[in-house]
Amino acid sequence: MLARIALGLAALFAAAPAMAQTLVVSDKPDAVAVTLYRDGARSGPIGQGWPGGYALITETRTIALPAGASVIRFVGVSQGMMPETAIVTGLPRGVGEKNRDARLLGPATLVDAYLKRRVTVRRTNRATGKVTESDAVIESGPEGGVLLTSDAGVEALGCSGLPEGLRYPGVPADLSAKPTLSVTSDSAAAQTVTVQLSYLAQGFDWSANYVAQLGERDTLDLFGWMTVVNGGSQGFADARTSAVAGKLNKGRAARLPVGPAPALRLQCWPLGTTSMAGPPPAPDAVSAEDIGSFEIVVTGNRVRGMLQRAPAPPPPPAPVMMAEQEELGDLKLYRIPEPVTVAALATKQVALLHRESVKVARLYRGSFSPFPYNDGEARPPSRPTEIVLRAENRTSEGLGLPLPAGKLALFGDRGGQPVLIGESSLADRAVGDEVELFPGTSSDVRYTVIGRPASRRRQAFRIEVSNAHDGPVTFEVPIPYAVADASAELVLRKGVKTWRVLVPANGTASLDIALKRER
Amino acid sequence: MRRAVWLFAAAWPCVAQAKQIPAPDKTAQGDLAITIYQNGQSLVQDVRTLDLTAGRTRQEFADVSAKIRPETVTLAGPGIGIVEQNFDYDLLTPYKLMEKAVGSVVTTVRTNPATGAETREQARVLSANGGIVLQIGQRIEVLRDDGLPVRVIFDKVPENLRARPTLSVTLQVAGGGRVPATLSYLTPGLGWTSDYVMLFDEAKSAIDMQGWITLTNNTGTTYTNAAVTLVAGAPSGAAAFGRLNDTTIDTPGTETSNRERLGDYVFYPLGRRTTIANAQQKQVSFLDVKGAAARKTYEWTNGWLGADSDPRSAATVLKFSTSKNGGLGDQLPSGTIRVYMRDRKGEPQFIGESGVDAAPMGSAMSLRTGEAFDVKGAATVVERKKLSARRWKTTMRYDFTSARAEAVSVDFAQTGLWGDVRIVEQSLTGERVSADRMEWKVPVPANGKASVTVVFDTRY
Repeated sequence: MLARIALGLAALFAAAPAMAQTLVVSDKPDAVAVTLYRDGARSGPIGQGWPGGYALITETRTIALPAGASVIRFVGVSQGMMPETAIVTGLPRGVGEKNRDARLLGPATLVDAYLKRRVTVRRTNRATGKVTESDAVIESGPEGGVLLTSDAGVEALGCSGLPEGLRYPGVPADLSAKPTLSVTSDSAAAQTVTVQLSYLAQGFDWSANYVAQLGERDTLDLFGWMTVVNGGSQGFADARTSAVAGKLNKGRAARLPVGPAPALRLQCWPLGTTSMAGPPPAPDAVSAEDIGSFEIVVTGNRVRGMLQRAPAPPPPPAPVMMAEQEELGDLKLYRIPEPVTVAALATKQVALLHRESVKVARLYRGSFSPFPYNDGEARPPSRPTEIVLRAENRTSEGLGLPLPAGKLALFGDRGGQPVLIGESSLADRAVGDEVELFPGTSSDVRYTVIGRPASRRRQAFRIEVSNAHDGPVTFEVPIPYAVADASAELVLRKGVKTWRVLVPANGTASLDIALKRER
Repeated sequence: MRRAVWLFAAAWPCVAQAKQIPAPDKTAQGDLAITIYQNGQSLVQDVRTLDLTAGRTRQEFADVSAKIRPETVTLAGPGIGIVEQNFDYDLLTPYKLMEKAVGSVVTTVRTNPATGAETREQARVLSANGGIVLQIGQRIEVLRDDGLPVRVIFDKVPENLRARPTLSVTLQVAGGGRVPATLSYLTPGLGWTSDYVMLFDEAKSAIDMQGWITLTNNTGTTYTNAAVTLVAGAPSGAAAFGRLNDTTIDTPGTETSNRERLGDYVFYPLGRRTTIANAQQKQVSFLDVKGAAARKTYEWTNGWLGADSDPRSAATVLKFSTSKNGGLGDQLPSGTIRVYMRDRKGEPQFIGESGVDAAPMGSAMSLRTGEAFDVKGAATVVERKKLSARRWKTTMRYDFTSARAEAVSVDFAQTGLWGDVRIVEQSLTGERVSADRMEWKVPVPANGKASVTVVFDTRY
């Protein structure tokens, strides 16, 4: 039994004492499911710091529900919970209202809760060790310091230099250690119920990370990791974990409700002394007000900067556990088949997909713009080409599965040792799409665009390409302009006229082309 | 001031003193009624019973909103006339107390660090600039100049210094006794919006929708046991700003719901009294509809007669109605709709959210949840030919692909037509819905492709 009933309390509805509510505290979930969603605004890999994605967390909790009205308090929900998204199901008569309280238990909120109330002041005599306790009423605080009224008169806390502190008779029930979600409900009879609490929480992200090994005859061994990041302080043990790929509409995350600061800053009157006096006091010297006062700083901040970027994934071992893909409307859901622990401030990697022989076409690409900047020069400088590995996302080509966006590391083989060829990023690719990888540029295959004498109606260019490889290579350059005339046949690729040529080993190729002047 | 529920109620020590010092869960508030608008203003009405004596008397009102707009305060009651209203915000701190004590006498208690013996002395505070200069008898010294512990005890707290900003009213009372007085004021810091949970069942083409009112309280004050009414409608500046509204009202509705209304405002009274704690976000249900009809379509829009270098995903759109017949049967206050769908194991998964403007009952709605992974489109300029100095002929081809296992229909729109663009030829008959926009319904077979070719005659 994970729920306990706290001592009886009334007074939530002071005017209706007949509706006294019992407080039921649910400490932790029995089972939890986490579905991760990517940060839609992120284009590169997951950075350090607070992750920009989010997660749907579904918790199953067992609660001993008393008869009558009750307040159920859920403890241990995620730090980044967006309270407006909370859904509670499984209560016999539904949910009356849901409350998320952001007031946290701390020194300052205690003073705030006991303002104009009676507390005990405890002083210890440094010489004799004798402890004196006396009653006092908190007159003001916590901002700007704390003033106490006792039988003797009015005093400021922490200004005398004596060891002194406050003691409170109890903890106000509306202050909690962590931001808490509570719901009101009622039940005809006492019973044990299983409820599901689901909510969206900030501070999660996931991405695919690919490792590709370039094999013989231009085939790829493509292996994908699912990298899951939890940036919150709440871990989820043995969670049924899945991740959703695709672009969802998601508004900017609303600001999480914040309560008053729980840290107490005791301030006093100016406590400058003769020995500190001196001409002229530096304006920003240690503020006299701060000397002699002490600060109790209680921080509930998440430890920042602890998240390390996922290390470059090693070349894949044979995966034991692989995520299973299913359709979720127009999105793709990847389910980790076994429960795993999504720990706080941690990244986790699970195999996402593996395809052993993906056919790729290797080609070199140049770019063309019709501006003959080199009019005066004898010959413009040649430029390196972009290396392109092009695959079709089809079963017949050895692929044929949805590919979520992610970074890809491409490895080659050098005498049995893997060597990094380059890194490329991949956008979301559906089945049937073309997949292009750009691992780098080639200095061995170079091209030059030379402006030729033009007329009023035509602009003329010559494109030359050279190949320093000992084998033939394919070169491609798209020409997205109105072509009047070309010395070779142009193919249409994605609606753009493109010159594609097989450059012989250690050879050259060239194209003479004329564009219509549009005027 | 603080309403609290006590875990250790029995531990509370001094019942006898409860008379002068209020218990922590006591509030000075009376019978509260709060009306919360969507522009961040709220009207608080607080009926308190005042114990008054006849004549001129000063009353302090504790536990009003810490963000109260004092100029909006009114107090009314039988036999009460208002002389003046004050809002004091000079806050009581140790430094302020010392400053106000300059010139007066305080008690100092010096503790001997070796023996612990205490010496009491009367001291006059001469100044509080940077340090405290005291006159004790005939000698002048600086407080704690030697760094040894010295307690300073003040006789009383001066007038006008408050722990919290305090509203006080001076009254002229005709006859004494217990008088019910209504205090009302406006305060910022309370607000509400609505959050909807929509569960979409694709197989049944149906949605279940729950609406929740989300109330936030950042006023610094807890409102105990209040009757709360929420008002939908825009007094001024209530429209959501900086949010993308992905839900559009296709056809505004013409039906009237049976919700309470006043002019163009709609009232959502909460069913029972509730306590709105400070720094709390509260949700209360106001709508629960099961099995309303909804269908899914795809939308793909080309902005002008340009080409795409990469195929773009179509938007997934849910179409539903707020009509009484076959719809949600209620008007929707503006808010956020979150859409869920069950996965293969039957667990609801989040598939996207979208802001929604206030929609009258009977409206036809389109909700965009996100981009479809598998349905894409790409525009290609096949040919652009100059007909004359100001006329061009543009041949566009639109290719749609679907990797889905069932046939889909894409609502494809070409915008940017300006009204002077004419269609010369089209491979599929479309509809010119406006001067600027042309729409086609393109059927795309399962795991297949479809193309539409359109020839435009444009003027420039």
